[in-house]
Amino acid sequence: MIRYALGAILGAALGIASALYLAGLWPGMKPLDFGNVDVDGWRSDFAIGSEAADPYTRARVARHGLLALAKSEAVYFTRTTDAGGNPLRQECEYALIGGDMPAQWWSITLYNAESYLPDNADDALSVDATSVSGEAEEWDALISSDRPEPGINWISSRNAGKFDLTLRLYVPDEALFDNPAAVFDPPVVQRLSCEGDAA
Amino acid sequence: MMRWIGPLAVFIITAVGAHWATLQYTPSVIMDRTLSTLKNRGISQHAFTTPQRISPSTQVVVRTSPDLFYSLCRYDLSEPGSALRVTMGEWPDYQSLSFFDGDTNNFQRFRGQGETVSVRMVHNKRELPAPDTITSPTPRGVVLLRRLAPTQEAFDAAKEASKEDMCELVTR
Repeated sequence: MIRYALGAILGAALGIASALYLAGLWPGMKPLDFGNVDVDGWRSDFAIGSEAADPYTRARVARHGLLALAKSEAVYFTRTTDAGGNPLRQECEYALIGGDMPAQWWSITLYNAESYLPDNADDALSVDATSVSGEAEEWDALISSDRPEPGINWISSRNAGKFDLTLRLYVPDEALFDNPAAVFDPPVVQRLSCEGDAA
Repeated sequence: MMRWIGPLAVFIITAVGAHWATLQYTPSVIMDRTLSTLKNRGISQHAFTTPQRISPSTQVVVRTSPDLFYSLCRYDLSEPGSALRVTMGEWPDYQSLSFFDGDTNNFQRFRGQGETVSVRMVHNKRELPAPDTITSPTPRGVVLLRRLAPTQEAFDAAKEASKEDMCELVTR
């Protein structure tokens, strides 16, 4: 009898653990662990916001894409590193250089390592298609923890620690889903300087 | 050796069953917890609730966008003959209405830039299809309205526009 009980307990544990792991629900797993699209370091999971066919994807999207917009309404790209492959962090200043996007409207928002907006009162959490000055085909912004002089597009990284950037494309062009790299020329994140750099 | 065949069979059957059940019920468990959380945070049932503008001090969910105006309405159509009437008022910029069922599926969505969108929703699948009527796969769920409002001025205007929004339970 004990052997049967042991078999049932171990079987249940294995079944639950394997389901959670394969569905990406194991503690510590993040949405970016499953991104199936990568355009110059900007990663996305096109399964979020689409009709999921298999139960593993359904469970994963339920957890990581809860209440997300449908893919036809918006897609999300995230990056955690600069153009040199170094993690983004508040001790550094970055230039964000971009152009036209394959969507009706776009925004780029900074989140800390816990996926929350950084705790500051700078009112500079994001830039978007309507806020950046300059031509739609060529714009730039500064990412830094110190407020720049007026007139510069700015995303504040104050109190962000290590952070990532999320690019939202609203009402994206349908061609994006067929071949993202062909129609999407994402912004470049260039590191300008870091605290402690040699003068 | 023979005495382990039975326990091994129990192990395999239990593992497969637990694996299947975990996948099958995870979405509904997540949505159930979400609906409870929304209720505890003051999101109304059968009425739109307009939260404050998203900022570091008002955010409660990860990765919310500070550029959007969010309005939420929980619904429960388990009462026979009940229906939900939802209206998204006019807004000059991007806006959308998303319907999520009790399994977290976004089963219906509408875009309505520059126009008013009205829809009636039922749960009874036996009801004959009717114009402007959609069917919720589960009795409970949530309606989420989003408006593009990247500035405080736009957010205030979106809040004003929300006076034309409606999420109302109706019974025959």
